[in-house]
Amino acid sequence: MDVQTALASQKPKHKKVKPLPYFLLAPVVILLLVFTFYPFFRNIYLTFFVTNSLGEPGAYVGFRNYVRVFTDPSFAKIMKATFRFAILIGVGTLSLAMFFAYLCIQKTKGSIIYQTMFTLPMALASVPIGAIARYLFSKYGLINALSGLDIAWLSTKETAIYCVALVTVWSNVGTSFLFLLVGFRNVSEELVESSMIDGASKFQRFFKIYLPIASPQVFFVVFLNILNSFQAYAIIRVLVGSGPSQTTNVLIYALYTNALVNSRFETACVYSLILFALIFTVTRIQLLLEKKVVHYQ
Amino acid sequence: MMKRKAEHINDLGLNNKSRQRRAFIIRLIIGILFISPLVLGFIFSFVSNRQLNMLPTFEKVINNLTFDNYRWVFKTIPILTYIKNSLIMCAISISVQLILSSFSAYAFAFFDFPFKNLVFNMIVAAMMIPGAVTTVANYLLVQEIGLMNTYLGMSVLFFVSGTSIFMMRQYYLTIPKELKESSVIDGCSDMLFLLKIVMPMSVPVYAALAIRQFISVYNAFIWPLLVATNQKMHTVQIGMAMIVDSEQMNFGYILAGAISSIVVPLFAFLFGQKYLISGIAKGAIKG
Repeated sequence: MDVQTALASQKPKHKKVKPLPYFLLAPVVILLLVFTFYPFFRNIYLTFFVTNSLGEPGAYVGFRNYVRVFTDPSFAKIMKATFRFAILIGVGTLSLAMFFAYLCIQKTKGSIIYQTMFTLPMALASVPIGAIARYLFSKYGLINALSGLDIAWLSTKETAIYCVALVTVWSNVGTSFLFLLVGFRNVSEELVESSMIDGASKFQRFFKIYLPIASPQVFFVVFLNILNSFQAYAIIRVLVGSGPSQTTNVLIYALYTNALVNSRFETACVYSLILFALIFTVTRIQLLLEKKVVHYQ
Repeated sequence: MMKRKAEHINDLGLNNKSRQRRAFIIRLIIGILFISPLVLGFIFSFVSNRQLNMLPTFEKVINNLTFDNYRWVFKTIPILTYIKNSLIMCAISISVQLILSSFSAYAFAFFDFPFKNLVFNMIVAAMMIPGAVTTVANYLLVQEIGLMNTYLGMSVLFFVSGTSIFMMRQYYLTIPKELKESSVIDGCSDMLFLLKIVMPMSVPVYAALAIRQFISVYNAFIWPLLVATNQKMHTVQIGMAMIVDSEQMNFGYILAGAISSIVVPLFAFLFGQKYLISGIAKGAIKG
């Protein structure tokens, strides 16, 4: 309202266009054109060529790069690993973040202490986290020592992806926790008190009051983590690489391996586009579902 | 039924001190368990690799604490140079990003001009293209324009952030238009109004964005790895990955390196936590 009237009152006064806003926006526009849009279209362009080790396009091959990637038997494995990882991260982060947020609903004197602990891994980079985890999961590492087991956690087909997911959830849970905390704290105290007087159990209170009221945040956190999982590279790289029988060879890992290790830039570009399509689709689903599922107050 | 009700009213028990203390201790223990990997990593960074390659007993660990791992890390790896490189990369990215975000937000919030919507939609569209998708093509581009192994090349991808622009714009929209009009009448130019009034008012938003940006740029891995191929330009994360990749797999060195590389962002987090959290909380309300 204020903005509207202000704009309306401004308009008739200055008919001529000021150059200042263009100067202010020029750097951003130029940077976006050079480092976002141009690389994006160049990436599409390169998928139709065979590139040399410097990424320069050579022979035009039409859609053959796509055909090669899609018919490669490892493609199915890569997509399977990608989706599996996304589900593990989505479910794992949401559950842990909900648990932590539920514990922190009430602000008390010392609550900042454990709240800080829950968010602390946010500050830590994936590489050192992966490095520490690599020790903890090693043959003589603490996990085997404490559990009395002798498992090569990171090189066993059944366990590798769970270890990576666990470490990723640990490092990412802070942001989701803070989002959910805002949601849970939206619940008014009167509502909680009256539910207590009505004899609702803690369980009922959580599912009937907190969860519906925080549904926008819950919804957002689920998609945030799925989208993040598609782009999580460093932890996988440091911890397991492509993993035993490629069980952790997710899309982003295959993308960077093709570009950096194999210098197969055209293949990397095809994977980039698949990644883009995946993220784009999930974002669309998020927007569509948001209207249907989430009830904003 | 009455009894149950009474119990639940007791549940509210605001003056029930021992219950509160118990709740606090339980949460504290969960918190400590949660960060224990970090604490254990810290403790074991003082244990020799020989000990780490057997099942260490508690006494052996306590009796054999040593600084050797750190000595090795600081001697063999120019980790201080790496930290310096990381900090320079952060300083450039943060200052450029904040200035550009301020400029764009000011243009969007205070001016009406042809193609305003076009530029706005362009930024929205750019946000739909994740960095991971353009990294490879950007790598080829940066090679061609000669930005390899330069601080500019390492930071350039962090210069524009749609989130940053929109957060800033949101904040600028709350500044009353009358304030600008009266300043203009007092002879204050549009640019001066931005520099002298709007930007000083934005310090809390700057703080929130800067701390978030600091942590994410300091911890960035793939882009600096691609651009900084010369060892002199390596960042902390690259150096850390090299310790992990080295043939011998010396866990003592790995842990000491990890802890050394964590110190700076950890303190940044502890001191800037307030701003970081308020920034996230603002985003959460919108959902």
